Amino acid sequence: MNNVKIKSKNLNVYYGEKQALFDVNLDLNEKEVTALIGPSGCGKSTFIRCINRMNDVIDICKVSGNIEIDGVEINDKNLDVVSLRERVGMVFQKPNPFPKSIYDNISYGPKIHGKGETKSELDEIVENSLKKAALWEEVKDRLDEPGTGLSGGQQQRLCIARAISVNPEVILMDEPCSALDPIATAKIEELIDELKKTYTIVIVTHSMAQAVRVSQKTGFFHLGKLIEVGKTEKIFKNPDNKMTQDYITGRFG
Amino acid sequence: MTKEQRLKKRHNAEKRFRFYGLTSIFFALLFVLILVHNIFSKGSSAFMKTAINVEVFYDKDLLELEPGASEEEILEADFFDITIESLLKVYPAKNMDEEDALIELFTTDAEIEIKKAFLNNKNLIGKKINLEITASDDIDQLHKGNYPRDLPEDRRRISNFQLEIYDVLVENKTITKNFNNYFFKNGDSRDPEIAGIGGALVGSFYSILICLLLAFPVAVLASIYLEEFAPKNKITDFIEININNLAAVPSIVYGLLALQILLATIQLPRSTPLVAGITLALMTLPRIIIPCRASLKAVPPSIREGALAVGASKFQSVFHHVVPLALPGTLSGTIIGLAQALGETAPLILIGMVAFVVDIPSTPIDPSSSLPVQVYLWSESAERGFVEKTSATIMMLLSFLIVMNFLAVYLRQKFEKRWN
Repeated sequence: MNNVKIKSKNLNVYYGEKQALFDVNLDLNEKEVTALIGPSGCGKSTFIRCINRMNDVIDICKVSGNIEIDGVEINDKNLDVVSLRERVGMVFQKPNPFPKSIYDNISYGPKIHGKGETKSELDEIVENSLKKAALWEEVKDRLDEPGTGLSGGQQQRLCIARAISVNPEVILMDEPCSALDPIATAKIEELIDELKKTYTIVIVTHSMAQAVRVSQKTGFFHLGKLIEVGKTEKIFKNPDNKMTQDYITGRFG
Repeated sequence: MTKEQRLKKRHNAEKRFRFYGLTSIFFALLFVLILVHNIFSKGSSAFMKTAINVEVFYDKDLLELEPGASEEEILEADFFDITIESLLKVYPAKNMDEEDALIELFTTDAEIEIKKAFLNNKNLIGKKINLEITASDDIDQLHKGNYPRDLPEDRRRISNFQLEIYDVLVENKTITKNFNNYFFKNGDSRDPEIAGIGGALVGSFYSILICLLLAFPVAVLASIYLEEFAPKNKITDFIEININNLAAVPSIVYGLLALQILLATIQLPRSTPLVAGITLALMTLPRIIIPCRASLKAVPPSIREGALAVGASKFQSVFHHVVPLALPGTLSGTIIGLAQALGETAPLILIGMVAFVVDIPSTPIDPSSSLPVQVYLWSESAERGFVEKTSATIMMLLSFLIVMNFLAVYLRQKFEKRWN
């Protein structure tokens, strides 16, 4: 059992009047993949957006409760979100490369954080990030071409490379394969397996099969509540809660 | 209703709609064609001027100049006598009345033209040279075929004697049509043959430049702040509504505002491009802010999130990613705003740009005219020569507007390609 990296305690999230998360208590382990499953609108994306404070962008969103990373409270008004997001990267549902060259897509993060002072250091970061994202071989000869010109699966791996480029500790993935075909999905899943050696990964997914394939731990959300959490094997073979059972067997959702 | 009937009805509805659409386009094009044809047929002749070939003798005694006279001496010298001498040689006149009629064939600036030719070549003293002296407005219009010569003499501005001279000149081919450089070079004048849009061009240029310098940075910064940084609350809603309202305020209201504040209170100089530029900037500001905000809004939120997620600050995500993507839309919005400002007349009339200004402004604080105001001024003049000049000025104005609009489209297309 790995150490706990992220710990949420009594986390409540409100969008205006509407409450999106109710008292979520969830521990995420270091260097492990945690999958969050549940029907649409159940709050799993809201939960991971709390971990890198992306919800700050939404004016009407209010977050209460605690989230600790390595024992340090991040829901603190005085915390610098920029350095938090340097530690906690994110990959979105729809690939969103910057409309710039492949090189610039990767080098942007390191540049703004002052990593890679020289051109050769930056080149190295770009190459390493792309290699880790299993994209290097496909794009090494066309780093100057726009990232938006790649295929969907390549774009998503480019976004993963972009997240890796600032050397984070945690990578949040919000349904990273929902816009991809099965082959691209398989590549990303392979990649996730590789990445968990270095990073703590949280992945939101609608695919049970994917959760089984990639994760060690699974949390099931329903209507803003964390219904059940446990080892992936257990959740899918022998869940404690009837609702979890119904969801994974496809009786609702 | 059977299936066939419904199908037929649907097809008929589509056909009807197509017919309405094509008819509308036909009428729209027809009106544009009428407008363009009207302006071109009236205005194109203004780009040519009529000149009469005159032999000028720079008589040393009449000029009272020595060879090698300095520029100042020449400028002070009186060219009136040799001008009259030269012009009278064109056709034999029997008495004073006929001499006057002959001289009336030429522009009142004939003396200046003869002087200028001499300034260009100071060795002409004591020599003869053939010069093309600009004809008067009446002869110009007659030569261009705009003047009805079959009217009875007492209803014509050109006498029978003058017509007789004109016919002889045409026969001798001493009367010619040249490119009208005065139209572009000169300022306004009471005499149509030497009036030009030079002053109006410079005035419009300064006004639009000042308008751009004031409105563009303010509009862009205001849009970026409102769209990206400002909290969404009642105050920003109120500001947004008022910006939209300001964009719809009639331009003459801005003229009144400028009259009250810029001229009466701050006492800036009247009739100047400076005041015009400030007034137009006030008017253009909301008209730039609106497209500018629209193009910022059109940048997909995923780009902002992508930047924030790698740890860019709000400021970095906006200025590194959103603004560059919104730039083409912003630029084309600005250019279209400026094109509107270029054609604006009403506020400029109120701030005194309607004054009769002969000199071409050398700085933005000299009194000046502007293109649309020049159109307004000339359209009120009685002389036939101003009719063609009005249309020619409209042609110039329209061509600037078309160039600006094409530039706007070009910029948008060129830069938008980059991220698709």
